[in-house]
Amino acid sequence: MSTALRSETAAAGRPAKPRHAGQAVLVLAVLGLLTAWAAWGVGVDLPKVFANAGNAWGNLVQLGQPDYGFIPKTFPALLETLNMAVIATALGAAVALPLSFLASRATNPNRPLLIAVRTVLNLIRSVPDILYAAVLVAVVGVGALSGIMTLFLFNIGIIAKLVSEALDGEDLGAQEAALAAGASWFKADRAAMLPQIMPTFTSQTLYTFEINIRASAVIGLVGAGGLGVLIDNVRSFFRYHELSLIILEILVMVLVLESLSAWLRKRLV
Amino acid sequence: MAPTPPAATQRPAKPGHPGRTIAWAVISLLVVAAFWSAKINWSALSDFPTETGKYLGLLFLPPDWSKLGEALSAMLLSVQMAWIGTLIGIVVSFPLGFLATAGISAGWLAWPLRGLFALIRAVPEVVIAILILSVTGLTPFTGALALGIGSIGTLGKWGYESFEAVDQGPLEAVRSAGGSRLDLMRWGIWPSVQAEVFSFWLYRFEINVRASAILGLIGAGGIGKMLQDNVQFRNWDAVGMLLIVVIVVTIVIDQLSGLLRQRIVHGRWSGNRAARRTGDPGKPEMSEPAGRMAL
Repeated sequence: MSTALRSETAAAGRPAKPRHAGQAVLVLAVLGLLTAWAAWGVGVDLPKVFANAGNAWGNLVQLGQPDYGFIPKTFPALLETLNMAVIATALGAAVALPLSFLASRATNPNRPLLIAVRTVLNLIRSVPDILYAAVLVAVVGVGALSGIMTLFLFNIGIIAKLVSEALDGEDLGAQEAALAAGASWFKADRAAMLPQIMPTFTSQTLYTFEINIRASAVIGLVGAGGLGVLIDNVRSFFRYHELSLIILEILVMVLVLESLSAWLRKRLV
Repeated sequence: MAPTPPAATQRPAKPGHPGRTIAWAVISLLVVAAFWSAKINWSALSDFPTETGKYLGLLFLPPDWSKLGEALSAMLLSVQMAWIGTLIGIVVSFPLGFLATAGISAGWLAWPLRGLFALIRAVPEVVIAILILSVTGLTPFTGALALGIGSIGTLGKWGYESFEAVDQGPLEAVRSAGGSRLDLMRWGIWPSVQAEVFSFWLYRFEINVRASAILGLIGAGGIGKMLQDNVQFRNWDAVGMLLIVVIVVTIVIDQLSGLLRQRIVHGRWSGNRAARRTGDPGKPEMSEPAGRMAL
């Protein structure tokens, strides 16, 4: 009798698990189809890759032996890359700070202006950096200037987005007090919001600088100055010893500067 | 003798931040040094405003829509490259992410893996693509492979970070019930991080869409290649059209992916706007400060 009771309660015990199997199968099927279609479009051909890898062994060996004698020749390009990153970050940050105030709902009471600024920033951000570089090289010519302009545009997009989002989340009490005391919006934002946002702004600018170091080593591939130009040169002459040295330099530079900037960010904020 | 009344309330001196001041001084010096040492022909900028106007006109007034079909199929190829690249990244980084998680795998395995992720993250995708290019030649597939390798770096890092941040309760429960390491991952970690993991996979796909447009510039096919060709021949109106295609497709994919992420994380399709307004779907509406009303 007691056993019967127990079995009854056990049967009534756990509610049935909701079933998602049908949904999961459907999603997986769609994803599988998409993948198959993409694989066909891209031309995934594993056997061919392995066949080529055999031919490429010599190149790999060359890549594995960086030519350290080439280091002095890379200094001008290295310096140019660093200069581009520093200048573009400084200018970009300076321009992005007022823009982020215009792009935040918390600090800009003028709706049409807010929407206009946000739209422009979204458009700027949606273009990858090298595409800017490709166009700007054609406009202002080959060299560091087009690189700086590329990174400058790119930075405005990033910094203004991050800082304006931080502004959206800030406490508006002090700003309200300033407005109530008769300050203009500009004054209220400067006195009440700017000090709150400064640590975030500094931190995001440093973060942007890290991204710039990486980007400035690359945009030269389309002629915008820096190490990328050098990469393009050695690549077109198949000098893999030198190519691997440049890549090693980029790696060291990025790791050193990123850890430095991460340390600074920890200290400043 | 009455004591002298205290002077008018004096504001205490602002505390100094010597460390901060030094940091700012050094940064300013670096910026000045960069300006000083860069060999830049700033005079080229003097007629830049007029030039900009001219080029914007050339690009977009009007864009050349005659090659739109070709551009869309090139962009499609870029997106397909991004998709395959993201998949490669997911398949490889998922197990590696678990192997780099403290508490799941041994230290001698976790730390080298973390180093590997950091190393991959330090190298830009384009450079990875160039390395692959110098080994096998560049096809859309090797472009996707480069994106895949690049994805491993970020996905692996985000993976172990989120695996380590889970609530320890379920893990402890699995351990005390005698679960194996596999059980720990499957029942202790996976249920809590599922949404987050799907969300950053999608986010990485967005990044790869942008990066795949770039890989075309060094010859991996897709929209970048078409862009490079048209810039070289100075077909500005076609370049303008291509830029519009890149911008529109990128924004559309970002929006779709954002919607999906919203659905995955918050479990519903809508509410996006409300969530953005308050920063959190659970919080009540932020009160607008007074003073916004025109008095």
